[in-house]
Amino acid sequence: MRKEHGLATRDLVDRLRYSGVGRRDFLKFCGLTAGLLGLSEAYIPRIANALEKGTKRPPVVWLNFASDTGCTESLIKATYPNAADLVLDILSVDYNETIMAAAGQQVEEILQKSLKEGNYILVIEGGIPTKHGYGMIAGKDMMDIAKEFAPKAIAILAVGSCATYGGVPAANPNPSAIKGVADVLGPAYKGKIVNLDLCPVNVEVLVAVVVNYLLFKKLPELDSFGRPKTFYGQLIHDNCERRAHFDAGRFVEKFGTEEEALGHCLYKMGCKGPMTHAPCPKIMYNDRVSWCIKAGAPCIGCGEQGWTDKFAGFYERLPGVSIPGFKGVEFTADKIGLAAGAAAAIGIAAHALGSTKRIKKGGEE
Amino acid sequence: MPKKMQLKYEWNVAYRIEHWVHVASMIVLIFTGFYIHWPFFGGGPESQIMAWMRFLHFLSMYTLLIGLVLRIYMSFNSRFDADWRDFSVIQNLKGVPEMIAYYTFLKDKHTEYRKYNPLQAFTYLSWAGIIILQALTGFALYSGDFFGLFSSQAAFGWLNRLLGGESHTRVWHFLIMWYFIITAVVHVYMSLLQTLVKRDRTFQSMFTGYKLSSATGKKR
Repeated sequence: MRKEHGLATRDLVDRLRYSGVGRRDFLKFCGLTAGLLGLSEAYIPRIANALEKGTKRPPVVWLNFASDTGCTESLIKATYPNAADLVLDILSVDYNETIMAAAGQQVEEILQKSLKEGNYILVIEGGIPTKHGYGMIAGKDMMDIAKEFAPKAIAILAVGSCATYGGVPAANPNPSAIKGVADVLGPAYKGKIVNLDLCPVNVEVLVAVVVNYLLFKKLPELDSFGRPKTFYGQLIHDNCERRAHFDAGRFVEKFGTEEEALGHCLYKMGCKGPMTHAPCPKIMYNDRVSWCIKAGAPCIGCGEQGWTDKFAGFYERLPGVSIPGFKGVEFTADKIGLAAGAAAAIGIAAHALGSTKRIKKGGEE
Repeated sequence: MPKKMQLKYEWNVAYRIEHWVHVASMIVLIFTGFYIHWPFFGGGPESQIMAWMRFLHFLSMYTLLIGLVLRIYMSFNSRFDADWRDFSVIQNLKGVPEMIAYYTFLKDKHTEYRKYNPLQAFTYLSWAGIIILQALTGFALYSGDFFGLFSSQAAFGWLNRLLGGESHTRVWHFLIMWYFIITAVVHVYMSLLQTLVKRDRTFQSMFTGYKLSSATGKKR
């Protein structure tokens, strides 16, 4: 809408004021971002400064691949301070298939121009099918598009769990052989790709990483899964608002019970919080309104590599174990343990029976 | 007392204490481990039951680890009985078929060994191994830091990657515990059986230190 009014040319603060965001709100946003990045308040003016230099901000090219565009959805639902556009302005998105107004030739030109000029931040949403013909845009394989755009990007942000390690589209049996961005682009891009896991991506984390780049001209420190340590360094379980119930041994046993209404711990309902490193309990979603566990749903671990397969079933404490030789059959760890225990008990009983003879003999010796 | 048997000092105080410390910490570990796996009873309104269970779990694992270090030290340096030679894998492999034949009633007698028969030696050796495995998987699952020096994830996170994520580390941690439970039950059964069959006070020896011995046993 704004761009139709020719507002794209004005500077950021003017544009924000036009859309109802005052300077105070803008600085509040800067303070919040500083807090997210763990910077002191001395950085707030620097953040504001970095954001206001609109013309010098690197453009963002946002590519959509195999996903449900939930991350875009999450992005446009960001409302802090109170304008969804703020985030888009900060990101200065030049191309995003889902939300751009332009189409066809017009937008392809913008895309090609960005590609030619280079120095853009490449945001990739969605997994990449590695089989020919399984995911194509304008006659081109998604994999080829990714490989075309990657070399000229100053940084590559894989947003959402589809882009990081394949996520839902890569779940077993994965017929189109979908892989994450880092796996498709190969080790040459190591250190250039930031994996922003979670399904969908947390917008505040995305913006914070971009602001971090604008401020320091570098990507944040990454963990062994390529995720920023600042945000993915701690377990959900350790920051969970229901943690006190866990320590006290108060658990929801069944949905629809009084325990559930009292907000007890969801550990026995299969919560994967104890295995998932993500900032959800702190940053939450939708303008910090809520997140899964606050809303009463056990965590399904969407911030971890391969969560769709290794955390299924989502309401079980531990995943099933498939035993070699029994294809497609899964046993729970409890059943395996009990079966082995029972077999041992039977073995001992049989041996004890057999030994009675020896005992008699031993007595005579 | 059957004929030709004489009292032999089998376990000195250090070995006996070490044994029972391990028993106690293993029982605590298994009980609290089952509770952490599936909290089968709830706490009162003011209780910190799960926090205590986890605390005891970690505490007994440290006890067990320290015990293992001492046991390994003793097996090399004990003035009473440095028994590391009894755990020699190659030596013991030769004796395995005979022991299996004995335990499946295919043979009536087996070679007398100095302290442990080959199956025993392998089992105890495997226990040392699984204590280390349980410590590694446990530390990989533990989120926290060690005395503020380094985080458990930085030090042991590689194991989660190797096994395919924390949920799988958890499954391994659980199944290894079952291996211990089963072998420990067999261990208790065997010592009772030995006591009954040979009347050699094997079971009592872990309290008194003295066992009845008919032979000097195979020299190593």
